[in-house]
Amino acid sequence: MKLRSDYEYSWWRRLVRFVDGETLEDAERRAEETRESHEKIQQKNDIEVEKQFEQEEKEDREDRKRRLEAEHEKEAMELLEKYKNWPKEHGVKIFGRLYAIMAVLLCIVIISTLLITVSYLPEFGHPENPNNNEVVEKYNKEGLYETGATNAVAGMILDYRAFDTLGESHVLFIAAVCVMILLRLEMTKEGKPTDKKRAEEENDRLYEPKNDKILQFSAKILVPVIVLFGIYVILNGHLSPGGGFSGGAIIGAGLILYVNAYGFEKAKRIMNRRNYAVISVVPLLFYAGAKGYSFFTGANHLDSGISVGTPGEILSAGLILPLNICVGIVVACTMYHFYTLFRKGGM
Amino acid sequence: MEWLRFAIIALLLAASLLTAMISVAGVFKFKFILNRMHAAAICDSFVLLLAMLGVVVAYGFSIATVKVLLIVVLVWIASPVSGHLIARLEVTTDKHLSEECEVRE
Repeated sequence: MKLRSDYEYSWWRRLVRFVDGETLEDAERRAEETRESHEKIQQKNDIEVEKQFEQEEKEDREDRKRRLEAEHEKEAMELLEKYKNWPKEHGVKIFGRLYAIMAVLLCIVIISTLLITVSYLPEFGHPENPNNNEVVEKYNKEGLYETGATNAVAGMILDYRAFDTLGESHVLFIAAVCVMILLRLEMTKEGKPTDKKRAEEENDRLYEPKNDKILQFSAKILVPVIVLFGIYVILNGHLSPGGGFSGGAIIGAGLILYVNAYGFEKAKRIMNRRNYAVISVVPLLFYAGAKGYSFFTGANHLDSGISVGTPGEILSAGLILPLNICVGIVVACTMYHFYTLFRKGGM
Repeated sequence: MEWLRFAIIALLLAASLLTAMISVAGVFKFKFILNRMHAAAICDSFVLLLAMLGVVVAYGFSIATVKVLLIVVLVWIASPVSGHLIARLEVTTDKHLSEECEVRE
């Protein structure tokens, strides 16, 4: 049976007790007792409830704290992810847009510059234009006399337009340097190959025949012929079709065949890095110096002191022969070096 | 005599052209690399020889003839070797070689 807590004080109960013969004092005492006990219970309950409350609150707070922390962490991770992916998602896009805009702008600038220049040029195909009469006439009439080269092309590219050819040689050299920057694998400070380089060297001939006897035999026959032919083309550049570029390419091909047949160890005896540096820089310097000298004297109407010689002889045509040799050396070295760089990152 | 010479030149050049056609057809027709190489090698050897002989007959004997024959000799040295290297590379790298041809273990 469930009773209210103040059941003892209810007027009905008091009436019952009065009827039962309870005096007023008794009633008061009882009331006090019950009140005390009730209060005690109340207090006890209160304390317990408070404790429970506190605990619950504590747990609640911790829980909320933990949840908040987790949320913060999640947000931070998302932010980090976003920052990490930013260059991939937006940076590339922005850069691509910028790149496209700049490329279009650059193209427009170059095209407009060229078109403006073209508008000042004489009309194309006009018979009175200098390139239709004066230049050709000069090359045909005085080319042999002035340059001493029976091969008119060699006279043009190495005498009249030698600055252009100097630029071409430098372009080759700069291309080799750039590829070297990108592809060359460095040694360590002690001069030993790094892990990457060693791995590359092991990978180098994974699928290719090592010391293939057939290849070696044919290379033994072909390499001297090829190199000799290249030298012939270079040395005969001012007498017959050919010259530095074609001869150098032939010699470079011969060197590449030699490396394929006999491996890098043997090829290193002639073509190592130091040799490469020397024999590609010295010809370029000689070329620049010689041509600078001849341009200086020519522009100031001075006698250069370099005789043209008898056209048709091997030692003739002034500077054309040495310049052909220089160009040939640079081209051969560059070709060979490109091959080694692309194959295993260095000689 | 002149017509005989012309006939020889025509025969040589026509034969070289025909062989070149067969070679090209083989390169596109065959399925596997080693077969294709066989077809392509015809171009390097036989076609070159026939065409150069035709040129030699057409222009008569001179120093250029020696040069032309030297070209033939050098290409005949170089071409089989390059074919050998390509075939070797193919054999080392191809995983399904036994499906294409008989492989002796």
